[in-house]
Amino acid sequence: MKKILITCLSLAFFFTSCEFDKGFEEMNVNPNSASQVGVATKITKLQTDISGGRYENWRNSLIYNSTIVQHHAENNWWAGDTYNRNDDWSFAQWNEAYGKMVKGVQDIIHQLETEGDTGTHMGMARIMRVFIFHRVTDLYGDCPYSEAGKGYIDGILKPKYDKQQDIYMDMLKELEEAVAQISGDGALGGADVIFGGSAAKWKAFGNSMMLRLAMRLTAADAATAQAWAVKAIGAGTMTSNDHIAAVKHGDGSSGRRNGHGEVYLADQGSRISTTFMSRMDGDPRKTRLFMRVSDKSRAAADLLGMKNGLKNDPYTDLDGNAIPAAGDTSIYAMAATELQSITAPMAMQTYAEVEFLKAEAAIRGWISTSDKDHYEAGVTAAMKMLAPMYGTAEITDAEISAYLAGPGAYKAGGTVAERWEQVMDQYWIATYLNEYEAFSNWRRSGFPTITATRHPNSYTNGQIMVRMIYPTAESGSNAENYAAAVANQGADSYTTPVWWDK
Amino acid sequence: MKTKLFRLLSSFLLMFAFGFTVQAQSISGTVTDENGVPLPGATVLVEGTQNGVSTDFDGNYSISASSGDTLVVSFVGYTTQSVVVGSSSTIDVSLQPDNALEEVVVTALGVKRNTKAVGYSITQVEGDEISANPSTNAINALQGKVAGVMITGSAMGAKGSSRVVIRGASSLSGNNQPLYVVDGITINNNNLGAAGMWGGTDFGDGVSSINPDDVESVSVLKGGAAAALYGSRASNGVIIITTKSGLGGEGIGIEINSTSQFDMLNNSLWDAQTIYGAGTQGLAPTTALGATDNLYSSWGARMEGQTVMQFDGISRPYTYQGNNQDRFYRTGTTFSNTVSLSTSSEKGNTRFSFTNMDNDDISPESTLDRNSLSINTSQKLGKNISLDASIKYITEDQAGNPNVSDAPGNANWVTKQYAPSVDVMWGQGPNGNGTNEDGLTEYVFTSGIYITNPWFAQNMFIKDLEKERFIGAMNLRWDLADYLYIRGRVGVDRFDAHRTNSTPYGTRYQTLGSISEYKLATKSYDADLFLGTDNLSIVDDFSLTAFVGISSYKNENESINISGSEFIVPGLVSYANTKNKSAGYGFSEKQINSAYGSAELGYKDYAFLSLTARNDWFSTLSLAGKEAPNNDLYTSASLSLVLSDAMDLGSDVDFLKFRAGYSQVAGGADDPYKLSLSYSILGNPHLGNPMGQINGGQIPNSEITPFEKNETEFGLDLRMFDNKFSIDATYYDNETEGDIVGVSASNTSGYNSALANLGKVSNKGIELLVKVKPIVTDDFAMELSLNYTNNDSEVVATNDTNGMVSLDEPRGVNGNRNMRVMHIVGERYGALFGTSFKRDDNGHIVHENSAGYPQPVVDNNRKILGFGVAPEQLGLGASFRYKDWNASLLVEGKMGGQIMSGSNAEMLGRGLHKMTVPAGGRHAGWTPEGVMEDGSPVTQSLTVAQQQNYWEKYNDAAEAGIYDADYMRLRNLSIGYNVPKSLLEGTSIQSASISLIGKNLFFLSNSVDNIDPESAYNSNNSQGLEYWGMPVPRTVGVNVNLKF
Repeated sequence: MKKILITCLSLAFFFTSCEFDKGFEEMNVNPNSASQVGVATKITKLQTDISGGRYENWRNSLIYNSTIVQHHAENNWWAGDTYNRNDDWSFAQWNEAYGKMVKGVQDIIHQLETEGDTGTHMGMARIMRVFIFHRVTDLYGDCPYSEAGKGYIDGILKPKYDKQQDIYMDMLKELEEAVAQISGDGALGGADVIFGGSAAKWKAFGNSMMLRLAMRLTAADAATAQAWAVKAIGAGTMTSNDHIAAVKHGDGSSGRRNGHGEVYLADQGSRISTTFMSRMDGDPRKTRLFMRVSDKSRAAADLLGMKNGLKNDPYTDLDGNAIPAAGDTSIYAMAATELQSITAPMAMQTYAEVEFLKAEAAIRGWISTSDKDHYEAGVTAAMKMLAPMYGTAEITDAEISAYLAGPGAYKAGGTVAERWEQVMDQYWIATYLNEYEAFSNWRRSGFPTITATRHPNSYTNGQIMVRMIYPTAESGSNAENYAAAVANQGADSYTTPVWWDK
Repeated sequence: MKTKLFRLLSSFLLMFAFGFTVQAQSISGTVTDENGVPLPGATVLVEGTQNGVSTDFDGNYSISASSGDTLVVSFVGYTTQSVVVGSSSTIDVSLQPDNALEEVVVTALGVKRNTKAVGYSITQVEGDEISANPSTNAINALQGKVAGVMITGSAMGAKGSSRVVIRGASSLSGNNQPLYVVDGITINNNNLGAAGMWGGTDFGDGVSSINPDDVESVSVLKGGAAAALYGSRASNGVIIITTKSGLGGEGIGIEINSTSQFDMLNNSLWDAQTIYGAGTQGLAPTTALGATDNLYSSWGARMEGQTVMQFDGISRPYTYQGNNQDRFYRTGTTFSNTVSLSTSSEKGNTRFSFTNMDNDDISPESTLDRNSLSINTSQKLGKNISLDASIKYITEDQAGNPNVSDAPGNANWVTKQYAPSVDVMWGQGPNGNGTNEDGLTEYVFTSGIYITNPWFAQNMFIKDLEKERFIGAMNLRWDLADYLYIRGRVGVDRFDAHRTNSTPYGTRYQTLGSISEYKLATKSYDADLFLGTDNLSIVDDFSLTAFVGISSYKNENESINISGSEFIVPGLVSYANTKNKSAGYGFSEKQINSAYGSAELGYKDYAFLSLTARNDWFSTLSLAGKEAPNNDLYTSASLSLVLSDAMDLGSDVDFLKFRAGYSQVAGGADDPYKLSLSYSILGNPHLGNPMGQINGGQIPNSEITPFEKNETEFGLDLRMFDNKFSIDATYYDNETEGDIVGVSASNTSGYNSALANLGKVSNKGIELLVKVKPIVTDDFAMELSLNYTNNDSEVVATNDTNGMVSLDEPRGVNGNRNMRVMHIVGERYGALFGTSFKRDDNGHIVHENSAGYPQPVVDNNRKILGFGVAPEQLGLGASFRYKDWNASLLVEGKMGGQIMSGSNAEMLGRGLHKMTVPAGGRHAGWTPEGVMEDGSPVTQSLTVAQQQNYWEKYNDAAEAGIYDADYMRLRNLSIGYNVPKSLLEGTSIQSASISLIGKNLFFLSNSVDNIDPESAYNSNNSQGLEYWGMPVPRTVGVNVNLKF
């Protein structure tokens, strides 16, 4: 018995003298990751995220937006011109924006604050933050903004939804402050795959975004729109195609390529809508942007648009009339090979758009420059940018002059409405493959005029979709804030307009 | 004081470990029961020595003993008998039943204990029950056999993993599967790939490596009291697998066991409509393109043999083409052959075995080949030192693992969904393998790029896994004194896996293809050192069995992943042949160190109190500067009271024991590196610029602690009428507190969840095992058994606001994400939560008329539609023996659970489900049942096109796919014949037996249309999700066993 007691006591001593968790703190550090990385590496990642992958560019940009605005038609399963419901496609951009972009940009800004870097880099980051959020709120309306992306930084797990009006006012203020913070070129250089670290270009982009955001409010709050548009133009917007804000891409692995290009690798089903094709008669861009699917012909006479909202088999149009070639859609045109490129830059905002917005401001009498000059500068820029962006055949000055003298001649003597429509139609053409912007500007301005389709499976009973629906997950994981947003904005449906869409 | 218990324990220890010899003659004989029925496994011991053997299958033994020695013959449930060795070398012994129960079970840390002293529920299944009806995954053989253990099958083919949950899931989102211990060593049960919402394939789990033919017995430690000594990794219970040793019979024994099994489709499940063919809106296709577009839309015309244009431009008669599944799937085969050699002597025993298992699954090109080598040896090294060692070396080749769930690459999706007018054989293409003339690219048969030609999917996709596994264990015991021993044990489980996935060049949804090569090396080490005392008498009437110990477990994973996309040379399936390459490297390690102790106090051999305590330290919870503890101390107490020994209960009662136990066990914290935010640099730069990002979508929490699970259990064990009736009943009640959960976050926070100790989940239940042996005669014996489980789970708390926690989401039909598996406070574990039909007070579906005809109104306010985990399980077993014949069967069922059958929902929308064919045919019009919004009945008759729209809209409601998953099935059936000894005389064969086996033969009841009710596509916590899995086959086979 004594022996046992001694044994037990010595064991007890052994246990208490043992350090049972020796080395555990070192062991629980992941040898393959760091506690922080340089801001430049995060900015490159953020910019490729903003450009987006195949996932959301397929679902939101192409499947929904490009067919809603009738750039594209598709007769099989794309949902935007048949007004079909697909939750997953609808909230793709939301998921990517918050899950990657907002998370990334808030982390960058937090790091810059922590490191005391409140100059150029901070200005650039804040402009990118505005860009990310304006896209989200334009698609969905009210959304988490002031509390978004702060799950780690501030422990906010269920961000409140801010009203779109408040978001816009804050974004305009953000742009003004951000542009003011940018002084020198900073240290990003090539890591900035949008502007190569150029302070001048970032400032022009910041002011041009201010103009875009201001003009978005023309229907909802014209006075605010005017004030900020004038301020933006005065501060200096983009002045040439050198200023185009576009994310550069290369032929790397997924995530480094143009998201639209990746879609085209997998899905050759989209066709140019008759709505789009019909406005391209006499436009030199027609033979650069499009090709016939069957033989890749670029000849203007071979380029046929496809009607939106077709049913497949029996292949009929909206009135039940048979359509050519019984569903053989290779007779129609689609985006030309160059536009399908995975290495093409992804446009965020172009100089041409800026000129068209200035033309509109001039038409409205907010600025004193010539609306005709802005219109023609816009058309010229929109034509000139294609060759450097996509590698399509150069559009010559002669072709441009002919167009501006012919089918594209500015209706300088027209009514305000006629001139506005003409400018907006050009905006819509110039934003081909920048479908987020095309969709927003169409909703804001009502141009171009789009005829609703009448597909029997329409989820909206034939109403054109003017909004994307929130992720179904939000009604569970952020229930109270989601409910408040729906109460404020209206039903979470494809047909509830966002605040600025009056 | 040497009690009877002590003698028994020591005799079993001897049998387990070693023996020594006195120069002697060989005595042999047969041990039988009072009716002359042979008793396999009875112990024969030379009294006063450590020389002991156990009887073989036919009750025969052979032992060295000298004249004048006393042989002590004992067997569970029988009175021990002593026989003095005389001049005869043959001693047959007939044992009489004993009222006192003397049997041992394997408990925690491999300690064998008398059933009497065990104060908690433990169930042991013998190896012959597993090897008699083997499965490609050994653990499936326990299905329906053990009360409290739910083993859920899946629709993932022969290589699929199993979900095993004991006494309900104890963690909301963490691991809920038990710890597996093989020959004293914990083994890794990681899944090497599983299907999810977007499809995928299953590469099996760790326990599937264990060769069923090597299994001697399986002990299931269900409760926390049983598992407390294995520590936190045992918080979900422990399954202890003991493999066969060389014990039994002297000299060299050779055994050959051969099983051939055949898997066949169970066509009785599939019941789709066969009246309407491919097409849309009531019309057959008129063009090749139309045919291609509508192959899996059964909304065409009535099939009447009319000539209709097909996908390839050829017109063919439009008729029912027969069952496509019969043509696509093949008869699966599994051949398993084992050769084992065993030798046993006074010094010890050794068993060597080799098994080859070769499986061809029912899906074309899907195969599994496994070789298992096993050596077990037990040797006495000196007077007081004994060594047990075991080595298992297993290689496994898997190929062609089928994709399940979402459509891409999933041959099941399209094979099952083709319209009745379509023959899957048409898709074979010119080469018979789903490729075009070029032999490479996907033969287009069906439109929709994500709908993969099934022949192409199975023939051209690569989903292979090679696994090489080594499990080694060594156990050294040194008896310091007759009451005191010290034991050390080390074990290693390491496996290397190499997985290759390739989407081939020419796949429509990824035209240039891709490949990934993944290599994983996993190493786990276990070490134990403990000092124990066996049945030490303290004062009169009191005895003590106790031990204290320390242990350490360490796990290391290292992985290398290379992947490339866009093959450059078509058809060359190689990483080197890809345009875009990326590489990844992963490493993780974790360790748990522990100190523990156990004491069992016995009083007068009928009352036993056991106390345990254990402290675990977790590396995964360690962080510099952390304030919350990285360790936890937990304890257990259990009491066993053998009333039948304490008092006289009359002659009818053989044995009556009450038991009660309370236990705590810590758990969770499985994954390292979760306590702080970290960043990584992505594999490939962008235009030369490196890219950095935050790792993961979960907000870390540096103050996480282990969860604690508390359990109370009560039970009784009653045996009556000479053991002809027995009942073992248990009630348990457990609750997990501080479960480590990912508090769900809105993804607008940038993250999906935040780590916190906030979950609480409880399980209460009963386990019942009843056995009846109504007839036992020399020639005929019959035994009936019933086991029943009812587990009532409740999610008590989920997070800070007790909001719902989402576990998973299935692929919605039509892209509508209309349901999720959710944890909802106050409800059972894992609710199927989704949209439903709006109904009036009488339960009729409400319809609206906005489209000009009635359509069901979907209530988008989600509600609970069911629960994927069945609370009730019933197993009914029967076994018979008539002379040399024997038969056994097992009927098994689960009740009270639901399944979200995505397949059935989709079949409704595509017009394949029988519900879409009204009694008078579609063209005669059909009036939906239900009411309009004003409450009036629906009266309008729908045209075919409207019916199509109706059913397409119908499955917008998740409710459309919800079924009760209740079933009863004949799980196992076997009929065997033992060749009589008389026929084997003069041959070297000692025994020979043959049996016919059947598994999953038919359903006695099944509430789900078209599929097996156990057709989930994953084995994780989100149960109840079905979407185009593999058909669950019927199996028949034959087993031959020869011993030399």
